[in-house]
Amino acid sequence: MVVIAIAGATRAFAISAPDADAILQRAFDNYRAGSSTTSVGMTVHRQDWERHFDLKAWTRGQDDALVRFVAPAKDAGNATLKLGRDTWVFNPKLNQVIKLPASMMSQSWMGSDFSYNDLAKSNDIITEYTHRLLATEQAGGHTVWTIEAVPKPGAPVVWGKIVLKIRDDDVVAEETFFDQDMKPARRMQTDKIATLGDRPYPVTMTMHPLDAPDQWTRVDTSDGHFNVKVPEYFFTLSNLQNPRP
Amino acid sequence: MLLALAWRNLWRRPQRTLLSLLSMAIAAALLVFMLSFQLGVYGVMKESTLRIFDGYAQFQPDGYAADPGLDRTIAHPEALLEDAVRIHGVTTAAPRVNGFAILANGERSYGASVIGVDPVRERQVSSIAATIRDGRYLDPTDADTAVLGASLARDLQVAVGGKVTLLGAARDGSVAADVLHVVGIYRSGIPDLDRSILEMPLSRAQDTFAMSGRASTIALVGPSLGGDRALPALGAIARGNRVSLLDWGALEPGLRDALTLKYVTTSLLYLTLVAVVAFIILNTLLMSVLERTREFGMLLAVGMKPRLIGRMVWLELLTLALAGCTIGLAIGAGAALWFQHHGIAYPGLGELLEQFGLPPRLYPTLTPLSALLGPGAILLAITLGGIVPYLRVAHLTAASAMRGA
Repeated sequence: MVVIAIAGATRAFAISAPDADAILQRAFDNYRAGSSTTSVGMTVHRQDWERHFDLKAWTRGQDDALVRFVAPAKDAGNATLKLGRDTWVFNPKLNQVIKLPASMMSQSWMGSDFSYNDLAKSNDIITEYTHRLLATEQAGGHTVWTIEAVPKPGAPVVWGKIVLKIRDDDVVAEETFFDQDMKPARRMQTDKIATLGDRPYPVTMTMHPLDAPDQWTRVDTSDGHFNVKVPEYFFTLSNLQNPRP
Repeated sequence: MLLALAWRNLWRRPQRTLLSLLSMAIAAALLVFMLSFQLGVYGVMKESTLRIFDGYAQFQPDGYAADPGLDRTIAHPEALLEDAVRIHGVTTAAPRVNGFAILANGERSYGASVIGVDPVRERQVSSIAATIRDGRYLDPTDADTAVLGASLARDLQVAVGGKVTLLGAARDGSVAADVLHVVGIYRSGIPDLDRSILEMPLSRAQDTFAMSGRASTIALVGPSLGGDRALPALGAIARGNRVSLLDWGALEPGLRDALTLKYVTTSLLYLTLVAVVAFIILNTLLMSVLERTREFGMLLAVGMKPRLIGRMVWLELLTLALAGCTIGLAIGAGAALWFQHHGIAYPGLGELLEQFGLPPRLYPTLTPLSALLGPGAILLAITLGGIVPYLRVAHLTAASAMRGA
């Protein structure tokens, strides 16, 4: 009885005075876990055309990731490997691994509305920003926290600030990126949340550049396994170029 | 009658008149020559900057300047090219595909602009072909070749005969990947260009970046484009094809602002020169008027109207100014023309200009504007200033004037 009461009290306390850092860290852990293997469909929409890719992604910890395109045939085999702060790309036509120069990191990744930075600096939001809880509201049966992330002084980041809406089941519902003039530049919207593997997961997310209304990139995650050990050799340059089964 | 009187009056004091003439002539000659020289030098500056890469004007897809990207293209560049070169004053129109890619050589990789060019036309538009330091420029028969800037080549540690891997995004969202053979390395003298631009054959670039038949920009040059006479016709073509025409100022706003600033600062200098000369001449004339008060009194006494005397004095001034300015104009224009023919050598400048594919000497440019502006300003200043002695004389009365002085 007492234990439940205390537990209830701490829980109530946790909700009444939630810590922005902790909310964000939990959401990040939920998304990436200790390791993850996901199958993703990516749709790039432009005014004149739309392209669809299928890709597989593996992550290890907070820093390492491998993404491999499996369809369409024209793009299959292209792969991106991120280790720490370094990023390499493999192109099957060239049959060559190229390390991305720092100057290219803000370029579009595979023609999408994501940049290489989005891959390489995915955990910057945790390490390079300070976080502040702006609002707490109820929506769709969940508590939704609005958190403002402002770059630490001198942090090597491109955004002026980032504002996130995070649900109490640790799913990011919306993420708005502001440029250095504090104007909203792009918004990542979670369109669908479902159970993936063992957890609630944003299975459909769309990135909208706010200066181009006809343009977006949607990411549909169809299959996911979390905290399943990914072999160490996956995150190597030789595996990037010559994938082992 | 009055003019004859004025002319005779001037030569009553030949020494003073000659000195006045000389000061005006020198000032006018200086103004003519300096302005011509300035026009010539600025012309060279403009040309040397624009001829490196931009061209004198460009056709671009609407909105390209603010947000260049492969999704903004000119769909049918050939029609535009033909229309453009038909305009009097346009010699060459060069289509380009402007991509952006990672260039890699082994472990080394850098981001750079990849420009697809028509080798024959590009050679006439941009001086990059003339600044090849190693190897050769692109040939019309080339397929998988590239020329790149010296700094970029050094960064990539690639030399003529080597290979460069290109990886970027194509227009349709697919991966643009290619391997190119380096045939030439240029040194344009502009660090930014030497570090950031690789040129490859247009058709290959169109394939690589999924731009088949399309162009990103069309660069235009021609002898009289600099004089902006062809621009209205080009603007009409641009509107008809729903693309934008950017003149040199829009292509190089920094250069335009710098030149405007220089014109403003030097015109202050010229203004000072005009003012000083005008005051010297007016002062001299006012002195002579004061000296001649008794004489004017006499003229009044024999029945000449004060206004007529005033006009005579003014005419003296005008004749003097006209003569001085004409002499100055002749000297200044003569010097400008002579140097326009022979050029002015400036130590150290020759090599720099030759690097840009330009003649190694500076040439003044004598135009109607540069010839007439300075003398005209002096003439105007003196004519207006002449009101002072005129008023003074016009208010004289016979009695006081004869008593005075």
